[in-house]
Amino acid sequence: MKEEIALSARAISKYFHEPETFQVLKDISFDVKKGEFLSMIGKSGSGKSTLLYLLSTMDTDYTGEITINGECLTGRTQNQLAAFRNAHIGFVFQFHYLLPEFTALDNVMLPALKLGKKSQEEIREDAYSNLKMLGLEAQAMKQSNKLSGGQQQRVAIARALINQPAVIMGDEPTGNLDSKNTDIVFDIFRQLAAERGQTIIAVTHDDEFAQKSDRILELGDGRLLN
Amino acid sequence: MSRVTNLKISRAHLTSRVKQTMVAILSVTFGISMYIFMNGFMTGVNDTQTELAFSTLAHIHIYNDLPEDNTNLLQKKYGEDKLVNLRNAKVIQYTEGIKNSAKIIAAIEDHPAITGITPQVNVNVFFRNGATKLNGVLSGIDVKQESFLFGTEKYITQGSWSSMEERGDGVVLGAGLAEKLSLTLDDNVTVITADGVSRNFKVIGIIKTTIGGVDNAKGYVRISSARQLISKNQGYVTDIQINIKNFNEATKVAAQLAPKVSYKVESWNESNGQLQAGNDLRNIIAVAVSLTILLVAGFGIFNIMNMTVNEKIKEIAILKAMGFDGTDIIQIFLVQSVIIGVIGGIVGIIFGYLVSVVVSYIPFRVATLDTLPMVYDPQDYILAFIFGLITTFLAGYLPAKKASNVDPVEIIRG
Repeated sequence: MKEEIALSARAISKYFHEPETFQVLKDISFDVKKGEFLSMIGKSGSGKSTLLYLLSTMDTDYTGEITINGECLTGRTQNQLAAFRNAHIGFVFQFHYLLPEFTALDNVMLPALKLGKKSQEEIREDAYSNLKMLGLEAQAMKQSNKLSGGQQQRVAIARALINQPAVIMGDEPTGNLDSKNTDIVFDIFRQLAAERGQTIIAVTHDDEFAQKSDRILELGDGRLLN
Repeated sequence: MSRVTNLKISRAHLTSRVKQTMVAILSVTFGISMYIFMNGFMTGVNDTQTELAFSTLAHIHIYNDLPEDNTNLLQKKYGEDKLVNLRNAKVIQYTEGIKNSAKIIAAIEDHPAITGITPQVNVNVFFRNGATKLNGVLSGIDVKQESFLFGTEKYITQGSWSSMEERGDGVVLGAGLAEKLSLTLDDNVTVITADGVSRNFKVIGIIKTTIGGVDNAKGYVRISSARQLISKNQGYVTDIQINIKNFNEATKVAAQLAPKVSYKVESWNESNGQLQAGNDLRNIIAVAVSLTILLVAGFGIFNIMNMTVNEKIKEIAILKAMGFDGTDIIQIFLVQSVIIGVIGGIVGIIFGYLVSVVVSYIPFRVATLDTLPMVYDPQDYILAFIFGLITTFLAGYLPAKKASNVDPVEIIRG
């Protein structure tokens, strides 16, 4: 069924022009089902991160077509894409990129406040329950730069989840964490995909992490290898 | 909702680097207070200058202009293509002064801009005391109106201005003139006209205006006494002096009055271009200096905001990744500089006022001044605030625009 497809990429190619013209991605097509936990692996320079940023809609310099949740995103303006990301995509990066002056709770609330679909009180409750799910209820009112690395990454995940995005994208989401925290993050992703039907796409170097996911996309020299 | 969020982020940025924010606010404060002080001071100087000038000079002056170049009237009659030879030309008697002043005054006095009209009979005379004889001007004036227009009475240092009303033979002399003639209060002085008529007056007052033309060469008598001296009728005057509500509109009002009067109507700026030029130049200097200071303040803010943008570039990237668009980012950073502008502006207005007050107490005993002149014009305060806002807005806009153009991919991928 068509509704089952959360994200589809069709004939994606991308070129870098600096320092010289170089094709990073060569005619990549694939679909990701709703609720699927997908890992993208590949050597450095294989283009996996580049592909993730194209899927994330932040990078618009490509040929081909990207559809998320049935909406074709190719050719939209930056501001339209920003609004789309806000509502439908959550991000978790290698570094947490929290706003250091804000409390953990405030950081989590930010994307929802931007979306503006709920009242501030509802958003606060949502943010708090997200933090609670990630075991951070005690840290909610702490300033984010006072938290430990693992806690910060979990706050970043809570932030990525606040608008109930259809797709959660991670760029080395566990790259900066020790094995204990890596396991915690993995379990959270697993749970989100299984229980809430959210689609997870994570770029990772961690083979163990990748092996445990539903599906692995391996890139090499800008092509899909499997 | 998103606006509230943006404001919250702006506030977090401002409060997380209090020192930088303070420096930015102080630079705006300094610019604005200097603007206020400089303009208040310059306006004070200009007003003092103008007030001094208008102690003898009316805003508009009506008089019988001497005939134009009459050396060869026939040439004008016959045109340039005919040769006219006229030898030893002499001007025959022409009408001096204004014969029927009452009619002219009646014709113009209902003009709404006019605040006062006074007739004068000015005569070139010699003042003599014993062997000392000095050239000067005897001004026959309407005692009350003259003082009403020019504030002459307040420059009296000895004797009394109003006693001229009771005494037809009383004269008020300029301080320098009196000194040169060795005259003091209640002495007699002989006045001799160009036609050889002489008359004795009693010195009933000494005036000191610091204007050489008055102090060293002028005597005031009742207008009827002056008419009598030169054998003229009741309606005769040499000059009609007019003051209007706003002296800056003198040229306009003069142009409106001119058609009603058959004599020359001249505004003060026409006859005293240097006063106007001085005022204008001082205003330009004041504005130039204060705007320069504001500009420097603007560069300071630009710098600080640029640093902030660079410092927060990762935050900007993540905000954009989360769906904040370019407008949000511009708002976040522009709001910061506008807040700096508003706080700096308010503090600057207060500080500028305080500086002005302090300066206005600095002793400065020249001419009629005791302290440095200062004017508190609300318009200066409003303008300073607006200029401050514009400067901070522009200075903040460029870094904000830069922030909005940050490519999140580039920053996040490193």
